[in-house]
Amino acid sequence: MRSKISAFGVHAVLTAYTFLAVAPILLVVMNSFKSRAAIFGAPVAPPSAATFSLIGYNKALGAAHVGWLFFNSIVVTLVSMGFVLLLGAMAAWALTEYKFRGSTLLALFLSIGVMVPIRLGSIAILTMMRNAHLNDTLIALILVYVAQGLPLSIFILSEFVEQIPKDLRDAARCDGVPETRIFFEVIAPLLRPAIATVAVFTIVPIWNDLWFPLILTSSDTTHTITLGVQQFLGQYVTDWNAVLAALSLAIVPVVVIYVIFSRQLIRGVTAGAVK
Amino acid sequence: MAQPQSQVVAYMPRSRFLGLMLLFLGPALVIYTAISVYPLIATMALSTYATTETGEHVFVGLGNFRTLFTDAVWSKPFWNACLNNLIFFLVHMAVQNPIGIILAGLLSLPNLKLRATYRTLIFMPTMLSVVIIGFSWSLILSPLWGVAEGALKLVGLGSLFRPWLGLPSSALVTLALISVWQFVGIPMMLIYAALLNIPDELIDAARVDGLTHLRIFTHIKLPLVAPTIGLVSILTFVGNFNAFDLIYSVKGAIAGPNFAADILGTFFYRTFFGYQLQAGNPTMGAAVATVMFFIILCGVCVYLFGVQRRLQRYTF
Amino acid sequence: MATLRIDKLNKAYGDVQVLKDIELAISDGEFVVLVGPSGCGKSTLLRMIAGLDGVTSGDIHIGERRVTNLEPSQRKIAMVFQSYALYPHMNVRKNMTFGLKFSGMKQAEMDRRVAEAARMLRLDQLLERRPRELSGGQRQRVAIGRAIVREPDVFLFDEPLSNLDAALRVSTRVEIAKLHRLLGATMVYVTHDQTEAMTLADRIVVMNQGRVAQVGRPLDLYYTPANLFVAGFIGSPAMNFFDARVEKKGPGSVTLSGMAFKPFELAATSFAPAVGAKIKIGVRPEHLGSPTPTGFQLAGAVELVERLGETSYAYIRGGGETQVVAEIRGRDAPSAGQTVILGAPDRELHLFDEAGERIAAA
Repeated sequence: MRSKISAFGVHAVLTAYTFLAVAPILLVVMNSFKSRAAIFGAPVAPPSAATFSLIGYNKALGAAHVGWLFFNSIVVTLVSMGFVLLLGAMAAWALTEYKFRGSTLLALFLSIGVMVPIRLGSIAILTMMRNAHLNDTLIALILVYVAQGLPLSIFILSEFVEQIPKDLRDAARCDGVPETRIFFEVIAPLLRPAIATVAVFTIVPIWNDLWFPLILTSSDTTHTITLGVQQFLGQYVTDWNAVLAALSLAIVPVVVIYVIFSRQLIRGVTAGAVK
Repeated sequence: MAQPQSQVVAYMPRSRFLGLMLLFLGPALVIYTAISVYPLIATMALSTYATTETGEHVFVGLGNFRTLFTDAVWSKPFWNACLNNLIFFLVHMAVQNPIGIILAGLLSLPNLKLRATYRTLIFMPTMLSVVIIGFSWSLILSPLWGVAEGALKLVGLGSLFRPWLGLPSSALVTLALISVWQFVGIPMMLIYAALLNIPDELIDAARVDGLTHLRIFTHIKLPLVAPTIGLVSILTFVGNFNAFDLIYSVKGAIAGPNFAADILGTFFYRTFFGYQLQAGNPTMGAAVATVMFFIILCGVCVYLFGVQRRLQRYTF
Repeated sequence: MATLRIDKLNKAYGDVQVLKDIELAISDGEFVVLVGPSGCGKSTLLRMIAGLDGVTSGDIHIGERRVTNLEPSQRKIAMVFQSYALYPHMNVRKNMTFGLKFSGMKQAEMDRRVAEAARMLRLDQLLERRPRELSGGQRQRVAIGRAIVREPDVFLFDEPLSNLDAALRVSTRVEIAKLHRLLGATMVYVTHDQTEAMTLADRIVVMNQGRVAQVGRPLDLYYTPANLFVAGFIGSPAMNFFDARVEKKGPGSVTLSGMAFKPFELAATSFAPAVGAKIKIGVRPEHLGSPTPTGFQLAGAVELVERLGETSYAYIRGGGETQVVAEIRGRDAPSAGQTVILGAPDRELHLFDEAGERIAAA
């Protein structure tokens, strides 16, 4: 009996908090499908046939170059992640597998970047990108995000590399497999489970970043979705339909992808957890 | 530098080993050094210069810092931002960690139904952009919409409602709480993972010894996940003293009303890019970034040498 | 097929000397087992032969080739690992051919070798499976198959049976022995299990603390261990040791005395230790039996008897609190509490001097 009560209590607390976590998001999405009068008249009511309206979406999709914004964000995020994974895995392998004079120092040097935010160097980054005529290009963003993501990915991937049995590469060496092939054909395929973990720690901050698009890009064609939404919100601050629609447009894809991959993502976060 | 000392490469010609290291480490090192480390150092170097009327840079040593810390025009907003940032951090520590620990503790209870659902939904806000979250909350808290007020009325506390985001006295704490609301998933997940790592036998042994769930949690589990709580704290510290997006997207570069929610991130942005009539000042901006760097460095050092060493790590 | 020669091989990690002046010559087609307690350096020695660990000083020759500074792939060796080390993302066939690809071997030749190894190891039906779909024993056979297809000069085995359960260990042991006869290849095999060593080896190398304690045929090690370490290591249950003193040396005999046994005269024309020297007498449990009036003889109380059926082990407390284990065959084991008198014939006594070296008593 007592355990039933306490189980009920546990579920009550968790349900309450879950409601707190989800309700604001739900509220925004729900109201984005309503007419202005309904948004203010009955905020917590779901859209009905009478109150249903897509006027906000018409405005949001018409005003901003949503297609461009999504395209830019996807390109920047995926390309950055690809490089972070490839270069990170290679470096993690080299640092854990080959001990040479200075390798510990090198690992320490790389670990600075795990803790110190790359943002603090923004001023010099901007100058550099201008000098290299890369400012206002996606390349600039990708370079910054690769540099930002590498330290942590090397750190996480090193843990995964450590877990691969040492006998495997010994066996490959006895088999006469060249060193580079040992990495690409034996080690790299075994790092696949690590991808989810590294992806969480790489993709999410890149997709959601406001700072670097804000300082490194100036034209609509290079803006990312996060910056685009932020500017749109600033412009249409009084047009609640448009604002709610824009917010929903930014929320829904992420939530859908999140729910689909949540199992892997959460496994990634918990596996990457440093004890 | 690279000399084969390793067992596995003992037989490899040195040139080949160098080539191999260049291939594997080269690209990552070059990008990291050029775009992360070098700009940081260059920024620190720039902080020792001042910008003249004509836009030239002249060396002033630590002059910028003296200006920042003591000059009437600069020091007031600077210390204001520092203090606000500290409050921002303390709110996180006081609210985010306890909630994260409680949620993780509940989620890790044995035989909990709907575990995955709770976990997924509570973590969801963490995945969304700060911009989205900030704006959504500013709508919800807006007196215009009246959702928050309505919710309070529902529980009979309607009279407590204030336009919290708009009031200088409450804007900062409200923003901090929004940030807590969004990121509580991270401590929850990390602590949850650490709790799962505690072997079942240990918990079983404690139950055989007659401890209640609560006592098991406070006396056995919590001490064992202390290192994770330490890690969460330093991650929060670094994130907070580097925060910008939320306040910028809700309050703009002014971080108003009357700079009430100004933190170092927004102060840095304003200093560097300028706002309204004040022109941007790259060298002072660099000085602010340098100060932020040292604050974060201090935090990390305190963690590494003070906290982490004292917290015993257990391996199972 | 080739000989393997190791000269003055040393290995140090920093200040820690792991292997000291190892000398070993293995002839073509010989099956040599390296055995010793964990940490004795046997695995390191094997890895150095393979080229996986660097050599601090000394030389390794395979056939006439000096391979000391060659990479593993150039040494014409193949190694079988304790963990099998199969590539988890490749099927059995690819596991076997993966290394061959890089030597520029023709597909037809690879197919021929895989088919032959698969037939030999009964892997024909499993070639398309992934390692995780195989049982432990099957994985072990794939690991051996991967070594066979390389047609190496020397096969190296690193505790290949340790991860198998007891029954499978015995059957796989027999298979390896058959394989050796079939291939006639030079094989070096590391184990900590003396049964494996005794049953498989042409010659055993017993290692202790980075040194070779003794090299010899299995029965030589059993009957004439060169020192206390080998005497204690080979044989199960381990040999009993008794402190003794040389009381008297006469022509053709020495008199030995000790706390645990009755003083007795041992026939020996040459005997190095002087009168008064402290020595140790070793007697295997299986050699303790009915006493002879003049030979080695001890009395003690039986504290515990383990009855295994075909044999029983009696744990006896002898004089001077000495613990003695005796193996008694058949049904007539004593029971706890009884006092027994046991003896051993002269030829089953092993004598060791103070330094632990065998005393030649003839």
